[in-house]
Amino acid sequence: MVGGFSSLLWAGAILCFIAYVIEFTKDNSASMDNLFLGIVLVLVVILTGMFAYYQEAKSTNIIGSISKMIPRKALVIRDGEKKEIPAEELVVGDIVEIKGGDQIPADIRILDSQGCKVDNSSLTGESEPQLRSCHFTHENPLETKNIGFYSTTCLEGTATGMVINTGDRTIIGRIASLASSVGQEKTPIAIEIEHFVHIVAGVAVSIGIVFFIIAICMKYRVLDAVIFLIGIILANVPEGLVAAVTVSLSLTAKRMAKKNCLVKNLEAVETLGSTSIICSDKTGTLTQNRMTVAHLWFDNQIYRADTSEDQKAQSFDQSSATWASLLNIVTLCNRAEFGAGQENVSIMKKIVMGDASETALLKFSEVIMGDVIERRKRNKKVAEIPFNSLNKFQLSIHETDDKRFLLVMKGAPEAILEKCSTIMFNGQEQPLDESAREAFQTAYMLLGGLGERVLGFCHLYLPEDEFPDTYSFDTETMNFPTSDLCFVGLISLIDPPRSNVPDAIIKCRSAGIKVIMVTGDHPITAKAIARSVGIISANSETVEDIAKRLKIPVEQVNKREAKAAVVSGMELKEMSPEQLDELLKNHSEIVFARTSPQQKLIIVEGCQRQDAVVAVTGDGVNDSPALKKANIGIAMGFAGSDAAKIAADMVLLDDNFASIVTGIEEGRLIFDNLKKIIAFTLTKNIAELCPFLIFIIAGVPLPIGTIVILFIDLGTDIIPSIALAYEKAESDIMNRKPRHKKKDRLVNHQLALYSYLHIGILQSVGGFFAYFTAYAVQGFRPDLLLYLRPLWVDDTINDLEDSYGQEWTKYQRNHLEWTGYTAYFVAVMVQQIADVIIRKTRINSIFQQGLFRNKYIWVGIASQIIIAVILSSGFGSVPILSFTTLRVQYWFVAVPYAIVIWLYDEFRKLLIRRYPGSWWDKNMYY
Amino acid sequence: MSKEEKKLNPEDNWRNFIYNPLTSEVLGRTAESWGEYGAGRRLGQTLSDETPKYQDLIASPGLSIIPKPMNALEIFVNISEKTSYEHYVTALGHFLKKYEDSMQEKNIECESGIFFEQKSRSKLACKFSLKILQVCSGLNDSSYGFDEGSPCVILKMNRIIGLKPEGNPSIQCHVKEERVNLVTFPDAGKIDLMYFPYYGKKAHKNYLQPLVALKVNFQPGSEEASIECKVEGSPNLKNQDERDKFLGRIAFKVTLAH
Repeated sequence: MVGGFSSLLWAGAILCFIAYVIEFTKDNSASMDNLFLGIVLVLVVILTGMFAYYQEAKSTNIIGSISKMIPRKALVIRDGEKKEIPAEELVVGDIVEIKGGDQIPADIRILDSQGCKVDNSSLTGESEPQLRSCHFTHENPLETKNIGFYSTTCLEGTATGMVINTGDRTIIGRIASLASSVGQEKTPIAIEIEHFVHIVAGVAVSIGIVFFIIAICMKYRVLDAVIFLIGIILANVPEGLVAAVTVSLSLTAKRMAKKNCLVKNLEAVETLGSTSIICSDKTGTLTQNRMTVAHLWFDNQIYRADTSEDQKAQSFDQSSATWASLLNIVTLCNRAEFGAGQENVSIMKKIVMGDASETALLKFSEVIMGDVIERRKRNKKVAEIPFNSLNKFQLSIHETDDKRFLLVMKGAPEAILEKCSTIMFNGQEQPLDESAREAFQTAYMLLGGLGERVLGFCHLYLPEDEFPDTYSFDTETMNFPTSDLCFVGLISLIDPPRSNVPDAIIKCRSAGIKVIMVTGDHPITAKAIARSVGIISANSETVEDIAKRLKIPVEQVNKREAKAAVVSGMELKEMSPEQLDELLKNHSEIVFARTSPQQKLIIVEGCQRQDAVVAVTGDGVNDSPALKKANIGIAMGFAGSDAAKIAADMVLLDDNFASIVTGIEEGRLIFDNLKKIIAFTLTKNIAELCPFLIFIIAGVPLPIGTIVILFIDLGTDIIPSIALAYEKAESDIMNRKPRHKKKDRLVNHQLALYSYLHIGILQSVGGFFAYFTAYAVQGFRPDLLLYLRPLWVDDTINDLEDSYGQEWTKYQRNHLEWTGYTAYFVAVMVQQIADVIIRKTRINSIFQQGLFRNKYIWVGIASQIIIAVILSSGFGSVPILSFTTLRVQYWFVAVPYAIVIWLYDEFRKLLIRRYPGSWWDKNMYY
Repeated sequence: MSKEEKKLNPEDNWRNFIYNPLTSEVLGRTAESWGEYGAGRRLGQTLSDETPKYQDLIASPGLSIIPKPMNALEIFVNISEKTSYEHYVTALGHFLKKYEDSMQEKNIECESGIFFEQKSRSKLACKFSLKILQVCSGLNDSSYGFDEGSPCVILKMNRIIGLKPEGNPSIQCHVKEERVNLVTFPDAGKIDLMYFPYYGKKAHKNYLQPLVALKVNFQPGSEEASIECKVEGSPNLKNQDERDKFLGRIAFKVTLAH
């Protein structure tokens, strides 16, 4: 990620080795300093690289269990014998047997099937179990019933099949390879950091070269000039930044994981924050992924049911006798059952055997009435015709308390109505006249228009004389009436939106993020859900809505007037890329319905052409190319297939759209905080660089050594910079637009200039003050130090005179030089304490932000002080580390400068707050 | 004074530093002093003209030789080629110039063997007569023995303000080679205590530090002398520091060619 810095450090290390070799060939007893420094630099590069890799690997590992995708064993018939072999040994032509619970080991053509049902949801997105048989039903292999796909699961039944494709040639394999061939753009943060590295490297290299030339012109030896170059490079490269950025990102990743966003690749943390378009699935992401009773119609009135996640009771008016009959039908005409052993589980969470609608009705009646199973036992079922697509109804006949049999029926409303001659109204049967039919039609259209699945319910008490309790019902011959029944009511079902989604959508909208719904559902359903969650806001209309309102043909409507658009997959197929671009540009609220997973890729590409950072959710294998293509692919944790999880950058553990929004918030925060971290880290570069420049130009003894620089960059500054990652947002970050990829840079020139030329210079002045003080109190006054360097570093001069006439040996001077390093180091450290405090905010006063809200800052400051105390209290006095024991006073030399830094920054922020948009704001706000 | 400085209990140091109730100093300075600090006048204020604030880094003096060899402390003399040693002779002459009687007119004769401590503001300097260096004084032999192949070098102890050597300090030299002998002037390399303490460049203007001359006599056939000199006889003058090879000692080589 920060490869540019590594190459600079490598260059520094190589220069060190060259310098050492030159020195060594001249003089065998040459000091090892350069060799040592070179080795340290190489170690720094390797260790920070390893550290970054480790952090990255750690967060990737969380979902390392993905290899579960491959079925381990296959039951194969070879040479007339059944054998179990590893799935990868299958070849085309093998005959395999599968049974309920198995994963299909390869693409197979079904030869024989006994009620075999498969779950193809990961491949096609269809959540209903699919029946497999040996009949060829469609040209398209994905549609035909006689193909079982690799890695899908056989839910029930058994089947025998012949292997037709293995490995990469399977449908899934092909999609997976398509996914891996989809090019992925660089993450926004990678681009930003590259940009930042360019700035820093540019500064380092240009200053390095300028001063190299100056040094040569000033008649320094080339070797010395090279050593200066190393120092300049070292001072400019923020060695600790790689580690700090990686740790901050992984801290945020951890925090996101707690909020159910599992980030696979650290850079995705920030990508999520810069997201400007979210293409979201409907089912399961925006909705609860379970059918729920939404509305009821009886007694010519529509009632609303509670559709929230944890319904305990239904509050609509239940006094009518019609309702009692309807509830009776709902309870009895239902094949769904609760799974065993769930007595303590709340109703909504119980596992149910049965299809989605029946499950919804079962839970609905259980909530209202309780103990459905007991009621069913009392009314024993004597005959049943299950639902099929031909007669479009389901029927059952039950015993009742009064010896009569009750026939109950549910199904498609128009099919049910056809079989009825009466309708129940307030518990009384009334003839089904025109007005009643009309009322039915109105209600049916209304509920259908809401995108809900509507079911009709009717019943008939069989006359006791014709059907005595010994009567034997035969569903084959239908020896009972199925017409002239009594219509009781309608119930409509919907997969309701998750309750926290509307808020999340509002948040997205205020955060300038466009939410696009992409679903395989019917446009009407899609639109209804889009409206109910706010993807299409209450007052915006589609072209069709406007046409309907103005009663003009759709073609005459000015498309610009419509904020919203609902586009079906068929329409999308016809569109040229330019038309799609126009659609995406002109409409702020878009729903794509009846789309295939493949079309998702087209939509993502269209959004990316608008320069948007696109987040895409997906769960199926077919989604994986789109997930890969998106700037951030989000796979569903529950519903997602493994292939989708592999292709995605992030896994949404609770499949909930609202979690994406909290993730975005974290992502935006870390971008702000990375700015602060970088500003903090860059500042002291100048304080590290100036010593070398002054050293070259003014010939003073070196104020700070290269090793000491490393101790600042990798020692005292690390923890405070990481602590800035915990800083809270200064204002509501969800109230501003997503950052513009090209305009809102992580490191802009304001940040660089302010850090380098304002605070950086202040820090250098403080550092030099400490340095000159350290020399002066020992006898070398500043005026003497100027151009003293040639004598100072001369090994043969062991009687160098100071300002007081005392004479110093070389070693005594070295010792003083190290004292100077240590004083300078402590001064920089003290001012970096002020720096970390001012970096807490970019615009607010420190007091608005609160000095103590982020406790980690204080941990960071404590770490700075402790490390500095350890180094300057004897532990750093190893010659090669070049620290000395420092007098207590030196610690306070830079304190006034630290205070000045803080006051200066408060002043800067004050003016920015006072005069927004002014020259000051434009140039001083980073 | 350097001793006092070192022996301060670090804890007291801290406590007094934060707040000193006697002088009502906070962090080592009074309120007015902090004000001056803010005005950036601190450096000039705290520094005395006469002595530096701290001397802990030069608690013990270094030893050096004149002339200074060009590199690796090796003095190379080729008798038949005057240019090979001419610069050494010049350097010696230059260095000893300030010891000439004419330069020492203001200096006084001091009482040998005791410290010459002075209270007055401007300090007097003790006379160091070149005669003490005898044949190496340059008074009779302007080539300092280089011409005849038995060169002189001058040894001097670094000046340190306030330093008072204990015992009877002297500079002792040894040579590895048997066929070289060394003669020191004054006898036994003695350093007279009357030249201490030193009061610093400003107060002690004419101060001259005592010197010891070393004459290296090569016997016929010998060409090399590896010499080590040390300050001996004084417990507070170190000569064994592991890292500082010039603290109270010096090792050098004299090579002779014909």
